[in-house]
Amino acid sequence: MRVQPAAQTGAEGRNDAVLRASHISVEYGGTVPTRAVRDVSIELHRGEMLGIAGESGCGKSTLAYALTRLLRPPAVMTEGQVLFCGRDGAAPIDIMQLEPEALRRFRWTVVSMVFQSAMNSLNPVISLRRQFSDIFEAHVPEMDREARDRRSRELLEMVGIDPSRLGGFPHELSGGMRQRVGIAMALALQPEIVIMDEPTTALDVVVQREILLEIARLRRELGFSVIFITHDLPMLVDLSDRLAVMYAGEIVERAPAEWVGGRPAHPYTLGLQAACPDLLGERRALQGIPGSPPDLRQRLRGCAFAPRCQYVFGPCADIHPVLSPLAPPAAAVIESVLDRDGGKTSKLNDWAVACHLHDRTANPAGPPDELAGDPLGTGGLVPPAVGAGLGVDPTGRPARGQDQL
Amino acid sequence: MSVLQVQDLTVDFAQRRGPKFRAVDHVSFELVAGETLALVGESGSGKSTIARALARLLRPTGGELLLHGRPVGHRGRKLRDYRREVQMVFQDPFASLNPAYTVGHHLRRPLRIYGHPRKGLEEVVEALLTSVNMVPATSFVSKFPHELSGGQRQRVAIARALATQPGVILADEPVSMLDVSIRLEILNLLDGLKRDRDLALLYITHDLATARYFSTQIMVMYRGEIVERGPADSVILRPAHPYTQLLEASVPGERTPHRLDELAPVRGAGGTNVILAAERAEATAATGCRFRRRCPHAMDVCSTHPVEQDLGDGHLVRCWLHDPKVREKSGDRAAPQQSAPSGA
Repeated sequence: MRVQPAAQTGAEGRNDAVLRASHISVEYGGTVPTRAVRDVSIELHRGEMLGIAGESGCGKSTLAYALTRLLRPPAVMTEGQVLFCGRDGAAPIDIMQLEPEALRRFRWTVVSMVFQSAMNSLNPVISLRRQFSDIFEAHVPEMDREARDRRSRELLEMVGIDPSRLGGFPHELSGGMRQRVGIAMALALQPEIVIMDEPTTALDVVVQREILLEIARLRRELGFSVIFITHDLPMLVDLSDRLAVMYAGEIVERAPAEWVGGRPAHPYTLGLQAACPDLLGERRALQGIPGSPPDLRQRLRGCAFAPRCQYVFGPCADIHPVLSPLAPPAAAVIESVLDRDGGKTSKLNDWAVACHLHDRTANPAGPPDELAGDPLGTGGLVPPAVGAGLGVDPTGRPARGQDQL
Repeated sequence: MSVLQVQDLTVDFAQRRGPKFRAVDHVSFELVAGETLALVGESGSGKSTIARALARLLRPTGGELLLHGRPVGHRGRKLRDYRREVQMVFQDPFASLNPAYTVGHHLRRPLRIYGHPRKGLEEVVEALLTSVNMVPATSFVSKFPHELSGGQRQRVAIARALATQPGVILADEPVSMLDVSIRLEILNLLDGLKRDRDLALLYITHDLATARYFSTQIMVMYRGEIVERGPADSVILRPAHPYTQLLEASVPGERTPHRLDELAPVRGAGGTNVILAAERAEATAATGCRFRRRCPHAMDVCSTHPVEQDLGDGHLVRCWLHDPKVREKSGDRAAPQQSAPSGA
């Protein structure tokens, strides 16, 4: 069985959000603006790792940059609000309203970032000592030189690098070590949120695995929240607590990671999963996702994934699907099972998908088996007998529209 | 039928200080028509150097290449004949196509250079584009690389490699720069072309899963040496070398029998007096088994250079754990042989 006890964070419910972004839209200006992020709402719980998956150009990084106000022209955030709720329980801070000086202090101390290419995010001509000192001088001016040095050494040691390297330069380190330095720097001021934008993409599998274990360990020890962006779905399933799959600037599926690992509900997620073959599984015919993502300068009618989707039917061409909780009866049955399983119902509403296949009014037959969503890993839906016994109305579905991550 | 035989290939690089750096150390293998040979390993293990040596983009320090059983010339006409027969597909389709020229130009060039008359050139170009599923071909001929997606560019690069009707294709990480969603299409395309044209394919990758699915044989390379080789399923499902086991344990989402924390411990007990993980991963032994600094099974004998052991079925491993004498001495408990889990 795949469902495990909810992470401490998940169990406390949705009030314990550290970052709450609503209706974010970002455009890259131009004669015809590119709408890279389209009305995305997302919530990051305290201490959790939220994975964001999707292929290139689907808006993952743009979203992360928008959350930290790191967008640079021609990118403009046209709509949306980002609220930060600190550990101290003070009133939520509206990140979009921060004055330049407050924003400067906010970054790194509260939200820090690890970039894809550590090669380029470290300055090649100054020593690591100098680069660590820069952080402390800018954010903790009262620290003296000795304290800065001590803390820098601690940080290096924390990520598994010999502190004697402090006087060295980035080019003396391997790619994996540079990425570790990047992580150490991001953690230097004990932020509450760390955004990691493909931090291991350029690295070898072994090094990648070491870094991921390192991140998991540090997160356990220091208790920060992580938004982890990558195109590697199996890695996210392994790593994160919840995950959101983005396509054409929107979130198309969002669920606790181990559920999506079991059986996703959106055809795009299924496609991504199939595109990464199992190493040790049965030999099978392998297939990618045909076609390419849509041009985001265009107005998208209907479902953006429809042209590439093998399940396309009636409403897909014209009606835009809204991210909604997974339809009953599957969801209701799961709820009852989970309820018996120890009251983890709060997680249930966390499984949402933007796809007409799951809309019982448009598709009374319900989604095909492989997209039915299967959190329990039973290899199929909970037997109908169980659902019938619970008196679930097979056509009932929750109100749409006011969904929130 | 063996098309290209590689014997004792060795490549040294000069270093400003110190001795020469041996990137490829006495590597021998052969490429067979209609089969794919996968070469896997981490960056810096020498995979690409082998491809570049085979494509004669650099001159090997030692060893011999035999094309259809005949030695390969070093210059002039002979070298050109060799290059016609052995073509390469590069990793980065954004860098390997010239942004100033059209798709058609990229395909006409090799055809003209290798003596195709002007007459009928366009038909061949269109046939090439069709063979890589770029249809309708006429609409792509006059396009520039920047008008194409990454996957389409890589298709053009493949079509260009096919233009000279080679017998051997060297594909150096042909999909690692592409999006996950289109990788399998490109690999399926290469696989189909291999079958249709009876090509011998060298597939260089760090992705073990696609190596398994798309190749007949797999070679695992570590710091210039082949440490394990054999039939694809045998190597992946029953890895015998601790390095192959480490690679597999690092693949996300897999439940391999070898647990990573045992193979590559991040911290020693108490966090004191350990070789730090990141540093340790860098340490290569100069003599003996090169993997021994990272190896959880390292023994005294590992300071001498291991010889290849045959595990049967063409599955070879260069590791002392599988040496019959060593196994006898250690009471046969040493070898984490094949799938016997070291951590279960």
